[in-house]
Amino acid sequence: MNRFTLLLLGMVVAPSAVAAENDTHAVVPERQRAFLQAHCQKCHDAKVQKGKFRVDDLPFAIANIETAERWQKVLNALNAGEMPPEDQKQPPCADKANFLDDLANVMVTARKSLGDQKGVVTMRRLNRREYRNTLRELLGVEINVSELPGDSGNGGFDTVGSNLFMSSNQFEQYLALGREALDEAFEKQTAAGVQKKLRFEVEDSLAPITKFVNTEKDAHDRGKKWVDAVMAAAAKPENKAVVAEIRKTAKDDAIFRRSWAKIAGAPSPESFGFDTGENNADKANRAANMGGIHSYYQYYLKLPALDQGAYLTLAQQDRVNSWLNLQVPFDWPVGNYTVRYRAAAVEGSDPQRRFMEFGINPRHGQVHATHEITGTMAAPQIIEIPWTLTRKHSDRSDRTLFIREKGTNDHIEQVRRKFAEGVKQNGVGPTVALWVDWFEIEYKPASAKPTAPGLAALGIPLDDKSKPPTAAEVRAAFERFAQEAFRGAKPTAGYIDRLQSLYDTRRTAGTKHSVALKESLAVVLASPMFLYLAEPASEKGRPLTDLELATRLSYFIWGAPPDTTLRDLATRGELSKPAVLAAETTRLLDDPRSAGFVNGFVYQWLGMDRLDFFEVNRGLFPNFDNATKLAARNEVYETFAYGLRENTSIRDLLKADHVIINSVLANYYGIKGVTGDAYRKVPVPKDSPRGGLLGMAAINLMGSNGERTSPVERGAWVLRKLLNDPPPPAPANVPAITRLAGKALTTRDRLQAHQDAPQCASCHRKIDPIGFGLENFDAVGQWRTQDSYQVMDASGKPARDVPKLTWTIDPSGAMHKGPAFKSYFELRDIIAGKSDAFARGFSEALVEYAIGRPVGFRDAALLDDMQRQVKAKDLAMREFIHALVRSKEFQTK
Amino acid sequence: MNANPTRRLFLRSSTAMIALPPLESFGFRRFASAAPAATPPKRMIFLSFGYGVTESSWYPDVTKTGPDYKLSPGLEPLAKHKADFTVIQGLTNKFANEGHWGSTLWLTGANRYAEPGQSFHNSISADQVAAGHLGQETRFPSIQLNGGPATEMGGSGHGPGLSLAWDVRGKPIGGFDTPVDAYHRLFSTDKTPIGQQKAMLAQRRSVLDTVRENAREMQQQLSKKDNDKLNEYFEGIRDIETRLGKEERWIGVPQPKTAMPEPKPGMVGREEIRLMYDLMVAAFQTDSTRVFTFRQPVKSLLPSIDVKVHPHDMSHYHAVLGEKLDASQRRDAAQSELLAGLIGKLKATKEADGSRLFDHTCLVYGSNLRTGHSLDNCPTVVAGGGAGIKLGHHIVAPKNTPLCNLWLTLLHGVGAKVERHGDSTGLLKEVIA
Repeated sequence: MNRFTLLLLGMVVAPSAVAAENDTHAVVPERQRAFLQAHCQKCHDAKVQKGKFRVDDLPFAIANIETAERWQKVLNALNAGEMPPEDQKQPPCADKANFLDDLANVMVTARKSLGDQKGVVTMRRLNRREYRNTLRELLGVEINVSELPGDSGNGGFDTVGSNLFMSSNQFEQYLALGREALDEAFEKQTAAGVQKKLRFEVEDSLAPITKFVNTEKDAHDRGKKWVDAVMAAAAKPENKAVVAEIRKTAKDDAIFRRSWAKIAGAPSPESFGFDTGENNADKANRAANMGGIHSYYQYYLKLPALDQGAYLTLAQQDRVNSWLNLQVPFDWPVGNYTVRYRAAAVEGSDPQRRFMEFGINPRHGQVHATHEITGTMAAPQIIEIPWTLTRKHSDRSDRTLFIREKGTNDHIEQVRRKFAEGVKQNGVGPTVALWVDWFEIEYKPASAKPTAPGLAALGIPLDDKSKPPTAAEVRAAFERFAQEAFRGAKPTAGYIDRLQSLYDTRRTAGTKHSVALKESLAVVLASPMFLYLAEPASEKGRPLTDLELATRLSYFIWGAPPDTTLRDLATRGELSKPAVLAAETTRLLDDPRSAGFVNGFVYQWLGMDRLDFFEVNRGLFPNFDNATKLAARNEVYETFAYGLRENTSIRDLLKADHVIINSVLANYYGIKGVTGDAYRKVPVPKDSPRGGLLGMAAINLMGSNGERTSPVERGAWVLRKLLNDPPPPAPANVPAITRLAGKALTTRDRLQAHQDAPQCASCHRKIDPIGFGLENFDAVGQWRTQDSYQVMDASGKPARDVPKLTWTIDPSGAMHKGPAFKSYFELRDIIAGKSDAFARGFSEALVEYAIGRPVGFRDAALLDDMQRQVKAKDLAMREFIHALVRSKEFQTK
Repeated sequence: MNANPTRRLFLRSSTAMIALPPLESFGFRRFASAAPAATPPKRMIFLSFGYGVTESSWYPDVTKTGPDYKLSPGLEPLAKHKADFTVIQGLTNKFANEGHWGSTLWLTGANRYAEPGQSFHNSISADQVAAGHLGQETRFPSIQLNGGPATEMGGSGHGPGLSLAWDVRGKPIGGFDTPVDAYHRLFSTDKTPIGQQKAMLAQRRSVLDTVRENAREMQQQLSKKDNDKLNEYFEGIRDIETRLGKEERWIGVPQPKTAMPEPKPGMVGREEIRLMYDLMVAAFQTDSTRVFTFRQPVKSLLPSIDVKVHPHDMSHYHAVLGEKLDASQRRDAAQSELLAGLIGKLKATKEADGSRLFDHTCLVYGSNLRTGHSLDNCPTVVAGGGAGIKLGHHIVAPKNTPLCNLWLTLLHGVGAKVERHGDSTGLLKEVIA
């Protein structure tokens, strides 16, 4: 095995020699030679070679991996504070910071240069997103692909072929997932003619609620009677001694009553009907204690219109309508359903509470959709939500649909907190805000003829009741299906022979037609011509064929395979005509499937995975519930989608006089006059911090840990994503700054420590000021003018010996070697003024995403060209895409 | 044991007596006669824990080396086994550069930038080298375990990968994500009749032939670079074929019985780690495999020990201390306690010749990540008698000694005498007994 390893290594490493000869863009600036000579060369020259390391012959141009590794060593040693050694003269702080600044940036360039694919696009496999979308387009079903590798995380986009690997494991997953998708599609097709409808008239909940409340009330009364009886017995003088004895260890009355049996004359809880098999004294104590909730129950039962519907409560349990459930029967088929409910806002209720959320699995599930309720009791409104039932919804909780008031039951602590607030206000509990008439789910029969192109291509019966197809029919079906799955490319006869023989073997062994068929088709969905976007070519680049162009275009803009229109144009050789290509690009952008680009691209471009890194501290930020988080996340996508739809300038992403929000976010941002659930353009006043990415809740949350803001994350994000000036990645092995731990300091004072150590200052002098300028946004993007810091002890409680520090936020600062700003608004203006840099960064991201290879130095001309074209159109969003699609690079293998 | 050349091994434990299948009837005579049954086989376990440790309280004092060192608070739960493990400091993967990749390069020592034109590259992991040598006779050459789905392991500070294992081409190898999955694969009996099992195997081979046919069609027209990419596909297929070949030899050999009860589904965090440890012992007892890796959960471990701090926040306790430092230390203690449990179990389990399972197992426990973003002085604990290393010592190797020197030493110790591994420069003489 070892020899084999070495052999393989040898094969892989060999090309590095080739890379060396090429010109390099990574050159350590000449101005740093003096630093190297002054502080390193004495020990690391040809003569001494301390640690067998020389810097005197270190080439300043980093043209190969070996040189890169030597410079990396220099960078590591300085970052770790190991060099120059302690007993040697140390370089001045600023000199060292400048040296590290230069070297770290050159190393980034060097890694990029050495990793440059020189314009070659490596054939790529469908990434996880595209694989899911492709199955959806082919078979009309959505399957859960989360067990496949995410194809990101190595840096770069998930479309970059050289980073998309394949393994035996994955092959088996493709087989299994393909089978799953076929099962789902066949099942869906079989059920096409079925009709189902189930309505829950929610006034039906009244009888069980009344019964429940009466039972609880009865228990409460019995519990109280028992408590009184025990306490009365305890008060008797003859029990004085024993009571004193029990009181020694019982820290409250309830615990005291557990020892009722020792008190002469005290009755048993069983005699009051508490007979549960558990500790009955505890049960009776608890029932006696539950007095408060009964006034809430009574309040509920006296509400009007209970004979026609029901109210949503905050009673902490579903039995009193904290949520309303609808159970999808187990014999209902997979497919596309419509969920509806008819609801009204209670007159006089808090407008902030007039939102309802829908989801599945009420105890642990996520919110799927949130709707503002504007209907009145006199004229309730009907909310309609499309929902897909899949084979994955196999257990009871996943088939339980719920509706409830927004942000009341994300977590048990949340509902407790809200209930307590209500009690504080009126002594009873939160008044109701929402009334529901009914809650229903419907399945409308679909076309009996399959509409999904994959199934339609088969053209043979999918079930086992019809007459089984002949061998010739099956063979023709395989041929058509494979060509459809392979995006128009024809499979060879040999391949189809094998598929047929797989089918035949199974049939001979007694397997049913439908099963044998699915098994064989699953093999197609694990075949390389399905999984890879192949562009056959010799070594040199060549123009793409029309069919390849169609595929590249549709995976760029839809993240999905080309449709019939696009493929037909390609087959006729029309697509490569510039006017046709432009028109098709526009058509694809107008199609709802362009959400595949918006979601896939924006998520990676802006680094939105960070949004799910942290749980927001709900105690600190009660307004930021799950529904708001979902709305905040969607704001980023919707804003981008709006710009793409309306072809606005990308300047609007830096600063805008409007926002793209729905009523949930308008409510969160305190913007008046927005009702309804659709995202739409809403103007904001000049002095509003909103408008543009920097003012979005999601972006600000990404620059925090859900509790406190992180000026470093925010500053680095702005440099990376908005200013196209990414700081080098955080270096490993930099000693952590610990001397400030346990001290109450302002955020600014704490981060000031970065400026003292040159290995920190080299990057943080650029990063931190920008982050300070965004400090007026708290961890969840709400505007604030004050901040505070509380030192915590080991148990997570405020440390007693260090008082809480509160301060007024000072957002002022200056860009490194750039203009100063006094406020967030001035900072935003400075950033908005750099739209050319933003455009350049956006183009680079697009090129990598669309072509599937990292942007290299030879792409400078393409990027310059794009920049020229988009500037002529005021950086209009679609112009970037058109310019890229028009380019030679996009149309070349 | 008698000298009869049979591979039937008996492993004894306090609870069960397990008989291995008589493999000689399935064409294993050659192996059997080559390996005298009297010597229990060597086994290896690699455990990694993502987000490093608490620097100040996990490492023993560097000035106190040798057998008389004092255990640090973070290792205190291992006190009763102090004579049976060794703590090593000073080891580093010099190419590691990502501050949150605790596991990606841990067992490989690869330079992610080694391949021109690629931003990520890896090489074979030490466990797979071991599996090549120790995995010939067992049903599974090696078993990879994960503390949850691969997509979530980033949240535990492990970095990219599908498990700790990387194959000979540096491609990620997947593993079992839950104790239940692993248990079923190891111990659930396949009740399908043998004839049918063989037919199914043949069918799976035809599937491979079919997709290979399709790959060949593509191959003819591709550029060299694209062909390299398609080669991954061919290699994947070939790997499955190799595995099918092995499965074929095991058809009819019943899955071994185990005294371990089937794990309950849904166990996460501490319970999950404990169950995975139990599984390792059960698998060794039945000689189902001889090599394990386990990428342990951190994200789910914390809530299971009532720590409410986010794992990434915890790993950056340095500047604020308080509850984050406390969380980090409680994590260290919980992990050490679990490890103590595993060591105890390995000691309590007896081999056929009466020796302890522990004496033939080489166990490594560590991470590529020390603390924060620090990747040098990787936390390293080695235990067991399997690789012939010095136990009960605190060893401080010269600063920046390649971690791969340790891997090489352990590989040699279990009989895998490869020339080098990763960036190794030689054996780590300090640890050889």
